[in-house]
Amino acid sequence: MESNPLKCQSVEALTEKKIIIMNTSTTKSDYLLLFRGNMWDRGLSPEQLQKVVSDWFAWFERLKEEGKCAGGHPLEKEGKIVSGKQGRTVADGPFAESKEAVGGYFYLQVGDIDEAIEIARQCPGLEYGAVVEVRPVAEICAVKQRAEELSAGRVAEATA
Amino acid sequence: MADHLFRHEAAKLVSVLTGIFGIDRLQFAEDVVQESLVRALRTWPYMGIPKNPAAWLTQTAKNLALDLIRREKLFRDKEPEIVAFLDQWPSDAAADESPMFENEIRDGRLRLMFTCCHPLIPQEAQTALALKTLCGFGVAEIAKAFLTSEAAIAKRLTRARQKIRDLQIPFKIPAGKELSSRLEGVLQTLYLLFNEGYKASSGDHLIKEELCQEAIRLGALLAEHPSGNQPRTHALVALMLLNAARLPARTDSEGNILRLKEQDRSTWNQAMIARGMLHLGESAAGEGLTPYHLQAGIAACHCAASDYESTDWSQILLLYDRLMELDDSPVVALNRAVAVANVHGPKAGIEAVEAIQNGSQLNSYYLLYAVLGEFEKQLNHFQAAIDNFRKALELTELTSEQLFLSKRLQDSEERNLRSVA
Repeated sequence: MESNPLKCQSVEALTEKKIIIMNTSTTKSDYLLLFRGNMWDRGLSPEQLQKVVSDWFAWFERLKEEGKCAGGHPLEKEGKIVSGKQGRTVADGPFAESKEAVGGYFYLQVGDIDEAIEIARQCPGLEYGAVVEVRPVAEICAVKQRAEELSAGRVAEATA
Repeated sequence: MADHLFRHEAAKLVSVLTGIFGIDRLQFAEDVVQESLVRALRTWPYMGIPKNPAAWLTQTAKNLALDLIRREKLFRDKEPEIVAFLDQWPSDAAADESPMFENEIRDGRLRLMFTCCHPLIPQEAQTALALKTLCGFGVAEIAKAFLTSEAAIAKRLTRARQKIRDLQIPFKIPAGKELSSRLEGVLQTLYLLFNEGYKASSGDHLIKEELCQEAIRLGALLAEHPSGNQPRTHALVALMLLNAARLPARTDSEGNILRLKEQDRSTWNQAMIARGMLHLGESAAGEGLTPYHLQAGIAACHCAASDYESTDWSQILLLYDRLMELDDSPVVALNRAVAVANVHGPKAGIEAVEAIQNGSQLNSYYLLYAVLGEFEKQLNHFQAAIDNFRKALELTELTSEQLFLSKRLQDSEERNLRSVA
């Protein structure tokens, strides 16, 4: 086994890589905050709307300044829905007022999901019925990827 | 962003749009404006707050209105006219300085004021509608101010809009003879709005303060307009300013009620007092003397006194005497009795209370017993004072008033014990 230079090298490479991966994963992970519901703000009074606008803007700015938020956007209410094989069906939508509709998102880069949840809790719309969904952005696992490359290499060797 | 910017812009836009769409489409104007504010909420947090938020809201409201009008064909043959008007409506920063639009906005507001305060609309619906459309308050906020349910307020608003449609109440500033009586109605509603905010009753404290501010703001708008610029309008604005200026001193930091004697006069708002005095001066222009004039005069006497001892009670009593000639309601008479006691002593005060015409109307009014208790106490009739304070306590449900009265009661009880011993 030890005579296999490829293996030795790869273990070294793997360990090295792993440390890097560990480093990035312990410092930052990515999360999406999805702001759901397109009805909660309808009945707010002008005074309440002004307060939520100001608070929400300040919240977004602060998160960006603290390096916890890489960006975010509102979503237009209406778009197109493409479905069917080869996208045969293109429809307008979604129009419906619903609790599920996504009105906007923040892209967070924070330590862990607890921190992301803590940030979601600060959403100024919660008081009035907005719902925030916290979704971890799936990482492509570098270890697994490397292992797959290696095994592919061995298969290639064996078949050579 | 300026405080209350959304509320004030909403009110302004509703009145301008109503001018364009017609008063029967008041609800449509309100919906368009609400939607513009909601759009601001959905985009500003990300794009930042525009340099000129008012212009952004105006532009959005205009676009929304144009979209809806074209798509839904809401106005049939009136459509080209309305679209043309909206198209030429400037929404950039220059809009506020454009003289034509300034007049348009100013007139729109006054027209809406006269419409909301039309005598054919029940009084309580008038105030609700004024708060909604002229001040930009939400239904929940109005409900809080009036200590009633949101459903009740929503119903009042619907009824008021219905009345406007059914009775075809015109959206215009009345002229000639009609102006005088209609102006009276507007002043009356503003006065009620102010009192609703001013009276030390329960309800959301902040909203109450805003009611006072709004009544003053609308009154000032009215006073600036050629149709509203009349002595009695100035008198009302003066009365509101001179009373509101002293609001901060009415309670201590814990919300306890303070007597005039105990108030820290350095917390009175001098800028408001100055404005109030200016309006009071303007109010003296004509011949007519209204209750607003006299009440403003009484408030001015208090404002002019640097401490309680230097209050000109003789002048105040004189003003109350004249007020009684115009309005001999028992509540005014009770207030007058306080002035009487300050000029002629507590015994004369009690006599003045006993002489109140139709005084039985005050039988369940806690303030009657609070005032009597105070007079009796000054006369060292502690047992009588105790009885009156107890009665007053039974008649109020407000914690702040109960607390105040309990202290007066306790004080009388202690003195009573000492005098007996």
